[in-house]
Amino acid sequence: MPQPHTLVVNGETVEVDVAGLPLLADVLRDRLRRTGTKVACGRGECGACTVLVGGRPTMACITPAVLVREPVETVEGLAAESADLRAAFADSGAFQCGFCTPGQVVAATALLRDGLPAADEDRRAHVGHELSGNVCRCTGYQAIVDSVCAVAAARDGVSS
Amino acid sequence: MTWVGRRVRPLDWDDRSAGRTLFTADLGGDHLVGRVLRSPHPYAEIVAIDTARARRMPGVHAVITAADFAPDALYVHRGGPLSDRPPLARGVVRHVGQEVAAVAAETAAQAEAALRAIRVRYRPRPAPLTPTAARAAGAPTLHERTTDEPNVAMLLDMTWGDPDAGRAAAAVTVEGSFAYPSVSHAAMEPNTTLAAWDADHGRVELWTSTQAPWFIAKEVSQLLGLDHDDVVVREGATGGGFGSKSKASEHEVLAAALARAARRPVLLALSREEEFGSNKPRHRFETHLRTHADADGVLRALDAEIDVDNGSYNHMGSSVMRVGVITLGSMYRPDGVRFVSRLVDTATQPGGQFRGYGTPQVSLAMESQVDEIAARLGLDPIAMRLRNLAPEHAETLCGYRVGTNRLGDCLVAVRDGLDWDVARAAARSSGAVRRGWGVAAGSHGSGAYAYEQANRSDAAVDLFADGRVRVRHGGSDAGTGQNTILAQIAADELGVDLGDVAVLSMDSDRTPFELGAWSSRGTHMTGSSVGQASRELADRLRRLAADKLGTSADAVTLRGGRARSDAGDVELGDLVDLSGEAVDGAASEPVLSHETSYLLEGTEMLAPGKDRANLSPSYAFAAHGAVVDVDTRTGQVRVADYLAAHDVGRAINPTAVEGQIVGGAVMGLGAALGEDLVREGGRVVNPTYLHYALPRNADVPSVRAHIVAGHEAAGPYGAKSVGEMSIVPPGAAVANAVADAVGVRIRELPITPDKVITALAEQEGRRRRHGIWRRPSRWWIAAIRALYPLGLHHVLDRWGTRLGAARRARRHDPAPPPEIRMPADLGEALSALRSPRAAALGGGTDQLPDRPRQARPAPVLVAVGTLPELRRIEVHRHEGGGEHLHVGGAVTLAELARHPATPTALAEAVRGIASPQIRNTATVAGNLVQAKRCWFFRNGFDCYKRNGATSPCYAILGDHRFQHAAVDGHRCQAVTPSDVGNVLPALDAVLTLARGDGSRREVGASAFYSGPGETVLRDDEILVAVDVPLPAGRRSAYTKLGLYTGDFATAAAALSVVVGEDGRWHDVRLVLGALAPTPWRLTEVEDALRGTRPTVAGVRRLVDRVLDAHAHPLPRNGWKLDAAAGLCEQAVEEIVTGAAAAVPERPAVTPAGV
Repeated sequence: MPQPHTLVVNGETVEVDVAGLPLLADVLRDRLRRTGTKVACGRGECGACTVLVGGRPTMACITPAVLVREPVETVEGLAAESADLRAAFADSGAFQCGFCTPGQVVAATALLRDGLPAADEDRRAHVGHELSGNVCRCTGYQAIVDSVCAVAAARDGVSS
Repeated sequence: MTWVGRRVRPLDWDDRSAGRTLFTADLGGDHLVGRVLRSPHPYAEIVAIDTARARRMPGVHAVITAADFAPDALYVHRGGPLSDRPPLARGVVRHVGQEVAAVAAETAAQAEAALRAIRVRYRPRPAPLTPTAARAAGAPTLHERTTDEPNVAMLLDMTWGDPDAGRAAAAVTVEGSFAYPSVSHAAMEPNTTLAAWDADHGRVELWTSTQAPWFIAKEVSQLLGLDHDDVVVREGATGGGFGSKSKASEHEVLAAALARAARRPVLLALSREEEFGSNKPRHRFETHLRTHADADGVLRALDAEIDVDNGSYNHMGSSVMRVGVITLGSMYRPDGVRFVSRLVDTATQPGGQFRGYGTPQVSLAMESQVDEIAARLGLDPIAMRLRNLAPEHAETLCGYRVGTNRLGDCLVAVRDGLDWDVARAAARSSGAVRRGWGVAAGSHGSGAYAYEQANRSDAAVDLFADGRVRVRHGGSDAGTGQNTILAQIAADELGVDLGDVAVLSMDSDRTPFELGAWSSRGTHMTGSSVGQASRELADRLRRLAADKLGTSADAVTLRGGRARSDAGDVELGDLVDLSGEAVDGAASEPVLSHETSYLLEGTEMLAPGKDRANLSPSYAFAAHGAVVDVDTRTGQVRVADYLAAHDVGRAINPTAVEGQIVGGAVMGLGAALGEDLVREGGRVVNPTYLHYALPRNADVPSVRAHIVAGHEAAGPYGAKSVGEMSIVPPGAAVANAVADAVGVRIRELPITPDKVITALAEQEGRRRRHGIWRRPSRWWIAAIRALYPLGLHHVLDRWGTRLGAARRARRHDPAPPPEIRMPADLGEALSALRSPRAAALGGGTDQLPDRPRQARPAPVLVAVGTLPELRRIEVHRHEGGGEHLHVGGAVTLAELARHPATPTALAEAVRGIASPQIRNTATVAGNLVQAKRCWFFRNGFDCYKRNGATSPCYAILGDHRFQHAAVDGHRCQAVTPSDVGNVLPALDAVLTLARGDGSRREVGASAFYSGPGETVLRDDEILVAVDVPLPAGRRSAYTKLGLYTGDFATAAAALSVVVGEDGRWHDVRLVLGALAPTPWRLTEVEDALRGTRPTVAGVRRLVDRVLDAHAHPLPRNGWKLDAAAGLCEQAVEEIVTGAAAAVPERPAVTPAGV
């Protein structure tokens, strides 16, 4: 029996059937065809499926859609907000294969909304810690941290 | 040149970073879901397979077994006697996880149900699981091989040069045994194939995550009995390969066979557990090496005996071994090298090709011994390597004809970049954390002639009438940036803007012959073929332009998208129509296409009887320097700084080259410090990111790349390879740095805290004695542990597990998804929980992923995460003064950490839990009640706790170094995993539990746990709140040892004290986590400290005394006692001198009347 549930995804209200306890990642990918959200472990351990729920980074691969009551933002919906960050990623080599990248971009977007600590060394450590839920196997992370710090500085109007 | 040598963004950066790039699993369309049935046994005969019931199940369209392939179908790999692996097991399984059958169904749930309905009867055989066991006299053999030794698939016994002369000249000889672990590629995109069968033409189309489409078509076609051209690979994004996706690896042919059987497209994606547990990891090498050097520190001879763990089938193990041993004769200039190397079959997942291809494994041994010799001779490790440099433009012992070799410059770059001489000469800390510096060098080929026609690459370049250019090649860019550099090359040769160049790769209908991106071929082979195709096309364009403009071709240059000459200009696109050869492309637009074939000359293949060869056109070199901090209290090694200097010739895209350097170095650091596929009974016990300790972002704070400027004449545009080179040196660089820091030489990677602590204890002659003989309460457990290796484990594992609930449950259909109840308030929730087998659901971050492994998962889940009463977090003031922090059970971990009144120890503990994403969702109550994290319990072992009383505890004989109890272990050796649970007893917290009948009770945090991850919570009860007293003047600290940022605690210490104005400690609480089955309060230590002014050393002595008196460690986890004592030292230090000392958590309030 269908079990309707309302989600707000990237500002758009959609009705989805949550019978059978589908996970948010599957609803986004299979039913709404927003495949930017990737699934790499299915156990909430790698961050490839990161989306924002109520603005908070969340593992979509272990979140039942029925429990989601707040607006969802996916990498597709954050493409414009993250344009400078994505360009910085491209310039610094912050992605190679790009499979973890949507999750990195989503998590980093939330981090930048919250703002980074003032001091430079604190920034790198803070960004590294806050992005440690997003595994990247290609880049070794340095360029990811560089990009986030550079974008934060640019947005602050401070030269990096 | 405009584009070559310039930093440019990846071609498709905008789509790729915004999630618009489609990987195979993202492709839509109506397709079936494939799943694979895998062997539960390491070695067994298949007596019977019955698929009848599975075939009849709803939604099932195909079930295939070995019978669906030709009786002699085997993967080709290197051909001849080395081909041994069928696409599905035929009569015998030789590793846990081997593919036995596959199904295609309309939904994943139907496919999983169908797997369970397939009945396979196995007759297990004794299984040789390690090279030592496999080579032992009388070991059961896995295959008929052509060597004289059982289970040895290939044996190399070789001498290069004159090792006798070298040994005779030696003044110093060092000898040792080294091991490089079996590690997983763990590419972020799981291996995935979408296959569509065209019945009318007998063709199959594949969208598959691969580095080498040609090889996929070759293997799939021959396994299915098709012509090579009837397997068509289409273009799609590949999410990382690192070697794993350069050969066919079952999913491709199984998807194709399922699609053929079902007559419908089938998508087959491996799960992460399958990736770790069944796919083809790096071959483990056990290298026994003797290195001889003369008094000047010049290496003169190397003698090696190497066992390569092949796993159960040949999946390029033979060539991995050959390339690995070449390390000994490829870089320095010894007089001679002698080695005996064996490729040993074991009943474990087959090893496979992995970035570095045998070189990192052997390099660990060689580069460690260079340092050992340097130490013996009193030489600086960099200076010693500089004395051993091989000349440029010369032949090495292994037959390499090396062109440029800038290893010396790389070493100097490390010396300068790390301020090596000054930093190392400065006074070393004698404190608990010691810094060390280490260096290691390495070399790697570029596009080895490792396969027939590997010296050939074809490419095509198209020019469209609107001036756009398209490069076509048959390789696949799995993330290396190959497509971008090919576009840079074409743009320069044709004088067009990079933005006007597109690349079409992979598609076997539309691209010319190319073997793919493996063996560091990308830059050299396709860079050369695309360059050649572009130059030839440019020549044609110049001739066409010359005819049109009435000048000579020599007078025409291509620039800015135009052909220019003194006689005038013409748009390149306008030349398309003039060519007379322009053909309609797929989009029926005029196109001028030019295809060419690049043939590399001067390289040779290894072959039987030819053991020296110039495999590659050029050779890359690198030196890496590591700066590490070793915490002697916990054994933890942290990389403080890392510099990787590389000789890559000329970097075509420096950003991409640096990315390959840093990425490879960090992957190598993973193997150096944490990664290791741990097996028990042949089954991988850590097939998840949670249990597989690969580096997280915060684990690698500073890794830097340095490109040594150069130009290699043999390479395209002066370039050499880089992608594999970078993973070679990190193992030895870190081992050398650790030796420099603390004076112990660790020869087996990964260098985890247990190895460091154990080596340090040995160095200092420390040994703990626990006097079990005078503790009668432990005799029974000691006796049971003693019986395990004597047959008890075998009986329980082989027979006892059959009686268990989890085992029985797997014979039935998977449990249906639970029903979710959404109560409006706590009362409603509690009454819903009164119905039998209903369970509370908080954030669900633990419970939901664990459900598939539960024998009887709750059919009803009551969502309590949003109940207002459970969501409150606030400071309550008591009437008589004082206050406490009230934390509702459904407050998230992130909210708890953020609250200003949260005590330091609690906030610190939460900060170290899992990831920000999990902390945003997981609740306080959920963290406290989560089940144990034992990797056997969590990852599919039918253990005592999962399966019932007749099953064994796998930790007793299995790997229990990190997660199991060293104090008070009973039948189950697991520990309570909750960091919050470790801290609360130190803060005198009180937990409030509510019941369905409306009653409530309070339980002190110290009394909440009844066993490892087991609590006093009843079935119909939930944890509604935690109340944490906030006494004035309290300071607290939480210290934890894990293998990566966010890991569960291997050991932890929570310390809380109220410090008086005179500096004396009052109200001391000290709790050790992850050491005993439940958080363990050291009341004896607390009592002894009360009223004193403790020192770090004093607390350590007290803690050690208690640990010695109470511990009963397993054979390999006694080191955790040292680590726990070390964590206590850290905690005391934080309170006495650290940040926690500066300010108490709550202002000291002078009580009224004092």
